[in-house]
Amino acid sequence: MRLQFVLAEIASGLRRNLSMVVSVILVTFVSLTFVGAAGMLQLQINQMKGYWYDKVQVAIFLCSDGSTAAGCATGPATPEQQENLGKLLESPAVAQYVNDFQFESKDDAYKHFKEQFSNSPIVDSVTPDQLPASFRINMKDPEKYQIISETFSSQAGVETVIDQRQLLERLFSVMNAASLVAVSVAGVMIVCAILLIATTIRLSAFSRRRETGIMRLVGASKMVIQLPFILEGVIAAVIGAGLASATLWAVAHFFLGGYLSQQYPDTAFISAGQTLILAPALIGLGVLLAGVSSLLTLRRYLKV
Amino acid sequence: MIRFENVTKVYDQKARPALDSINLEIDRGEFAFLVGASGSGKSTFLRLVLKEDRASSGAVYVAGQNVANISSWRVPRLRRGIGVVFQDFRLLPQKTVFANVAFAMQVIGKSRSVIRDTVPEVLKTVGLEGKENRLPHELSGGEQQRVAIARAVVNRPGILLADEPTGNLDPTTSMGIMGVLDKINQNGTTVVMATHDDDIVNEMRKRVVELRNGVIIRDEAKALYTSMIPVVGASRRLRDASGREPEPAAATRSEARAEARAAGEAQL
Repeated sequence: MRLQFVLAEIASGLRRNLSMVVSVILVTFVSLTFVGAAGMLQLQINQMKGYWYDKVQVAIFLCSDGSTAAGCATGPATPEQQENLGKLLESPAVAQYVNDFQFESKDDAYKHFKEQFSNSPIVDSVTPDQLPASFRINMKDPEKYQIISETFSSQAGVETVIDQRQLLERLFSVMNAASLVAVSVAGVMIVCAILLIATTIRLSAFSRRRETGIMRLVGASKMVIQLPFILEGVIAAVIGAGLASATLWAVAHFFLGGYLSQQYPDTAFISAGQTLILAPALIGLGVLLAGVSSLLTLRRYLKV
Repeated sequence: MIRFENVTKVYDQKARPALDSINLEIDRGEFAFLVGASGSGKSTFLRLVLKEDRASSGAVYVAGQNVANISSWRVPRLRRGIGVVFQDFRLLPQKTVFANVAFAMQVIGKSRSVIRDTVPEVLKTVGLEGKENRLPHELSGGEQQRVAIARAVVNRPGILLADEPTGNLDPTTSMGIMGVLDKINQNGTTVVMATHDDDIVNEMRKRVVELRNGVIIRDEAKALYTSMIPVVGASRRLRDASGREPEPAAATRSEARAEARAAGEAQL
């Protein structure tokens, strides 16, 4: 009975205040979309980092079947060449710069590739043979990349030496800046959302002051009086958060998955499904926004 | 049922207190009028009973409990034991008579079957049988006040506070309302009514507590309404209070009231 009563109160409150409720939905929608966009950029950065990014700085790729580099004129790297390179890495001249290194076989490379590009059509057309084996080196000082590069570039069986970080870091700094911008916009929008929710609750409390006055007089508990107002804000915010999550999903599905991954097949993109892990966070944030701002407002404008 | 011990209420430090060292006891089942000019402290008295305000000093006991010791989350329980009626009815305009009365039960979580049984019974007590589905604007003022009374007593409070319940009604209708309040009082509910209506007070002959500037200046059983300004004849009126016949003019008016009241009760 009490639950049914509270639900009926909520429904009547939402109906009476429809335009305000719609504006709360829109503002939370926009602000949470920005929050979610920042989250999505971070997810994308993680996706592009792949398996090795956080573990090593320098990769020495060995010659494989399709290699066209000058050092690979003799065809794919032989096991002896590979052994020599391993020995060279362990030699004191090089070892002083190296924390440790790992060898990634073609099969390992294929496994990691499949993980990173799981959302991309390219994964089906690649076989382990096409991927180069590599040494992945964790440097004591990443700045000393040049020394490794000079030492190994000219070795037999080495296709290329790459400082992965340098390649990706520029892109990542752009993406990080973009997510910072998104978070700042979101911050301003969230302030708007909080104020708007507060105003909506205030209007709602004002338009129902007769009811709440009578409820107080006949001894309704604080919860029964306040809950409909709080839930009104929460419901509006959850709808906004739901719309924001749906928008992010649509962006990931149609823009990243449908358009960008066709344009840049060699880049790993996040899948639409991955954006859904942001949804609970966005909805939680929406509930928190609405709950906190309505609690603060009610304390001032709804005497119990 | 209601006891004030040396209660003082100060709203503004610079002004005189709204209530000044009030000592008063109203017993269970009593019917008491609270009379006095505007600003004499009647409404403050009622607000203190409801714990809408906190007494500046002194203690207010309601049903044996010092309201100052009731924590804020238990105030609703205190208010469930007190019904309140106002001059302006305070009905919900979009709700029917039945829904208005049922609202008071819904918000404290009564089950639907209890509501279905209780509301018609209470509406019958206040004389509104057959009008369950009317909206407040389809009712006369007197009927609206009856709905408000029904709402105030539907949860069977021990105390009914009425703040000028007849202030918006004509004399005949007022007597009908008084009939309802009297009937509720007969059923054991303590009734405290703040009023300006001298005719009603004179007719009912109940306990009268008169306030002036926050001080009780008179507390008499079976008393009359005396005007605030001592006029010629005031002493005779006081004698009337001790049981002598009122002056002829007042008597005829009084008879008219009595007829109206009988008519009001006949409607019940």
